[in-house]
Amino acid sequence: MSPLQLNRRVVVGAVGAVAIAGLVFACQATRSKPINLAAGDAASRVYIAPGQYDEFYSFLSGGFSGQVAVYGIPSGRLLKVIPVFSQNPENGYGYNDESKEMLQTTFGSIPWDDSHHPELSQTDGVPDGRWLFINANNTPRVARIDLTRFETDEILQIPNAAGGHASPFTTPNTKYIVSATRFSVPIGAKRDVPIASYKENFKGTLSFITADQPGKMDIAFQILMPGYNYDLGHAGKGPSEGWFFFTSYNSEGAYTKLEVNASQNDKDYVAAVNYKKAEECVASGKAKTMQADYDHNYTDPKSRIATTEKKTSVKLLDPRDCEGVVYYLPTPKSPHGVDVDPTGEYIVAGGKLATVIPVHSFTKLAKAIEAKQFDSTIDGIPVLKYDAILAGEVQKPGLGPLHTEFDGKGNAYTSMFISSEVVKWKLGTWEVLDRMPVYYSVGHIMIPGGDSKKPWGKYLVAMNKITKDRYLPTGPEMAQSAQLIDISGDKMKMLLDFPTIGEPHYAQALPATLIKDKSVKFHSLAENTNPHAVRAESETNISRTGKTVHVEMVAIRSHFAPDNIEGVQVGDTVKFHVTNVEQDWDILHGFAVLGANTSELILQPGETRTLTWVPKDEGIYPFYCTDFCSALHQEMQGYIRVSPAGSNVPLAANISPKAKAQMAGAK
Amino acid sequence: MTRLSRVLLAIASVLLLGAFLFPLWRIDLVAPQYPEGLGMLIRVNTVTGIKPNDLANINGLNHYIGMKPIEPTAIPELHIMPWIVAGLAAFGLLGAALGARKLLYGWLGGFVTLAVVGLIDFWRWEYDYGHNIDFEHAIIKVPGMTYQPPLIGTKQLLNFTAASWPALGTVCLGIAFAFGVAALLVARRRGANVKRASVAMAVAVAACAPQGPRAIADQGKSCDYCRMTISDERFGGQLITRKGKVYAFDAIECLASYYLQNAAAGDGSSIWVADFANPGRWVEAKNALFVRNDAHQSPMGLNLVALRHDADKAAAGQAQGTTLRWQEVLALVESHGRSSDPAEAAGVAR
Repeated sequence: MSPLQLNRRVVVGAVGAVAIAGLVFACQATRSKPINLAAGDAASRVYIAPGQYDEFYSFLSGGFSGQVAVYGIPSGRLLKVIPVFSQNPENGYGYNDESKEMLQTTFGSIPWDDSHHPELSQTDGVPDGRWLFINANNTPRVARIDLTRFETDEILQIPNAAGGHASPFTTPNTKYIVSATRFSVPIGAKRDVPIASYKENFKGTLSFITADQPGKMDIAFQILMPGYNYDLGHAGKGPSEGWFFFTSYNSEGAYTKLEVNASQNDKDYVAAVNYKKAEECVASGKAKTMQADYDHNYTDPKSRIATTEKKTSVKLLDPRDCEGVVYYLPTPKSPHGVDVDPTGEYIVAGGKLATVIPVHSFTKLAKAIEAKQFDSTIDGIPVLKYDAILAGEVQKPGLGPLHTEFDGKGNAYTSMFISSEVVKWKLGTWEVLDRMPVYYSVGHIMIPGGDSKKPWGKYLVAMNKITKDRYLPTGPEMAQSAQLIDISGDKMKMLLDFPTIGEPHYAQALPATLIKDKSVKFHSLAENTNPHAVRAESETNISRTGKTVHVEMVAIRSHFAPDNIEGVQVGDTVKFHVTNVEQDWDILHGFAVLGANTSELILQPGETRTLTWVPKDEGIYPFYCTDFCSALHQEMQGYIRVSPAGSNVPLAANISPKAKAQMAGAK
Repeated sequence: MTRLSRVLLAIASVLLLGAFLFPLWRIDLVAPQYPEGLGMLIRVNTVTGIKPNDLANINGLNHYIGMKPIEPTAIPELHIMPWIVAGLAAFGLLGAALGARKLLYGWLGGFVTLAVVGLIDFWRWEYDYGHNIDFEHAIIKVPGMTYQPPLIGTKQLLNFTAASWPALGTVCLGIAFAFGVAALLVARRRGANVKRASVAMAVAVAACAPQGPRAIADQGKSCDYCRMTISDERFGGQLITRKGKVYAFDAIECLASYYLQNAAAGDGSSIWVADFANPGRWVEAKNALFVRNDAHQSPMGLNLVALRHDADKAAAGQAQGTTLRWQEVLALVESHGRSSDPAEAAGVAR
């Protein structure tokens, strides 16, 4: 170690000591300026020179924005916002004819949801960069994002569910992703019941969703559970592969003032699900087929048109009919996160209100099941003895332990919501090794691959709910925030704060090399199967079917064809089917028309999108390109003339003579 | 004709068929918005883009300046050329079969004539392509500007740098010609002329060998990693890709950083460092010795210099420094991590 590094440690230590003193002092006096805890060389550690690439892609959920934001790590630069469960006027997702079916549910079209947990697909328990999944919390759904295009391709609604929070965590080869119910509700035909009949009528479900084939997401089976609140989950791996663990709270069965009434019991449960056993029971006909309506939306990658498939039934498995499918692991005080270490042996539960972090041992769990060391049975689910399954407890970790990630070097990192810190501790000895204050009220933390078999344990991202004085003030509402911490050494080093979109609820990350070279540069026009696609100006067209006028247009630098349209009447619906015929990377065009009651279109190269417009009054309406495409972008415009209903102005457009001849031939 | 001569002529004729397998000429276009480049390949019977849509994209851009779109089917030469080359190959094979020296002379004469006519015709096509501008419909008009791409070499055309070079098909034709000349030299008797024939072929092969390092400091060039102007070549390095593109660096650590960050750079490229003891001479990095001596300030602060021989250490005033090999330099730069990043490095140099 060079004297310089030694000095740096001393300085960091001293700053840390001053910071802690500062926190104590802060109880008596308000601070005037946020504390700077950054490591001395932090600037150079996060500096990515212009034109250079970040080492990792990170995917932070947008929480109540319903989106996913992609940031480069370590720079914290925002690379893209991917709309998933929310309409996005910025690019027309959920507005244009092609994509709006993505937001279809049995409740009708829903323009918003709360996206919580991104989850990368895995091969052998390691993120593989094929897809990113994310859940909708409010109206339970799961979505698949394709990582060659960074676009949402598929959304599956979850029936018999309310509050899709424990989702969409994956099994080690992405055979299944799961969705468990944060709210228990009555399930089945009889749903109009008194709220006070909670204990009798309310149930939870754990859904296992087949996820390894695009376009074929489906619910393999659901497991009917006692009416607790199922909060988070993680799959077993290695020795515990074939098991899935879900936390639950509210074993009290409270239905009002949960903050008090659901916090009474000393212990709630982690549900350990043997999903291989569940598969056997389902295969041998022990699950009941139940009527349930839910929607499955899928965007065909060739036409890029989303369609909705109505599904009508689901297989529901009652643990009473399938012995050994679920066990309850008693766990202190309303556990929130449940995280399985890279070896698959340790199951760490974060009890929000607990004073310790309990760690269960899978080996002990298997032995306890074999020896039938049960305390009791709840609805056919044996409750194992706490002492028989416990590997150890981390003592005095801090206040409000929530979530744990792993660095692959035998260490675990747990977020502490109340004491607002990240705590590093050692697996096996359970000793606390280091603490790093974070600003403020950290929820999830994320290490690239930190929930997998092979973490890339170089950085940790803490996702904080409250930022207060961390940035220049922007009124009563401040952006939420991520903080980047270097975990490559013995001691954590704070490197960077960066504000985020929405709520950065949870995140995933992986080395950029796993996906960057697979990124699609444009959509092949030759493979565009949208029925209204036109591949050249000579194919453009205009036609009328009753009161609907179809305009099949081309967008190319720097004009639309056609760009003069007449013969439209008040009362008509105009469908502008615009194809961007560019076959060049990142050459996008936009399309907007005056008075349209919808968003613009943004057209990726080679793609066709449709804007529906109902003109309300006669006149001349301009349309123009909204995405600065070229030196003559400002000239990329056109006019459409709207005549009164019944007018004798013929339908016409200034399309090429060849297209006109083709149209004449077609008539 | 001797037996050897006939064999050489037969080989030369077969080599002509390389023109059908490989492009004859390659034009690369690079602009700020097109760092990945656009380009076209001129083949014996058609013109294609280097990437699938390059030709369409070039035509799309050219409509702004009023250039005609390139439509390969409308270029008559591309219909004729395959027959000419195939005919020449057949003629050569006939000559080899009959062993008639007159046919060999005819083959060589025909080859030279066709090559000259072909190049002139190509230049005329480029001239027409670059000058025959539809000014009535051109959107961007630059007075006096024409857009003729160079026959060989590079040229700035508005925001694009156009580079035009013979491609593998033409190399095949060149080698075929060398074989034809060799056939001529040994046509009468064996002996001394065999040696001359081998020289002709060796020259042909040498012409195809990859380029070696060149001077980098004297043209106001800037470092391809840190962007600082290269003023002193003695600390510098260069990376020459398989295709012959040269990346120049003002310091060994810049070269190493670039190499580490661009995995593809390792693919068939050669890496050279300046021999500190012998200005103007270059050593392949894998053969060089590197000396780190803080008494000697290199531009980027790691104070690395390269030498060809251990004995030069003293001569270069570096007797005290530790000696490293290329792999150790890479490890050092990597462990030094981001501190060799351009910004901080520039800060150090300031």
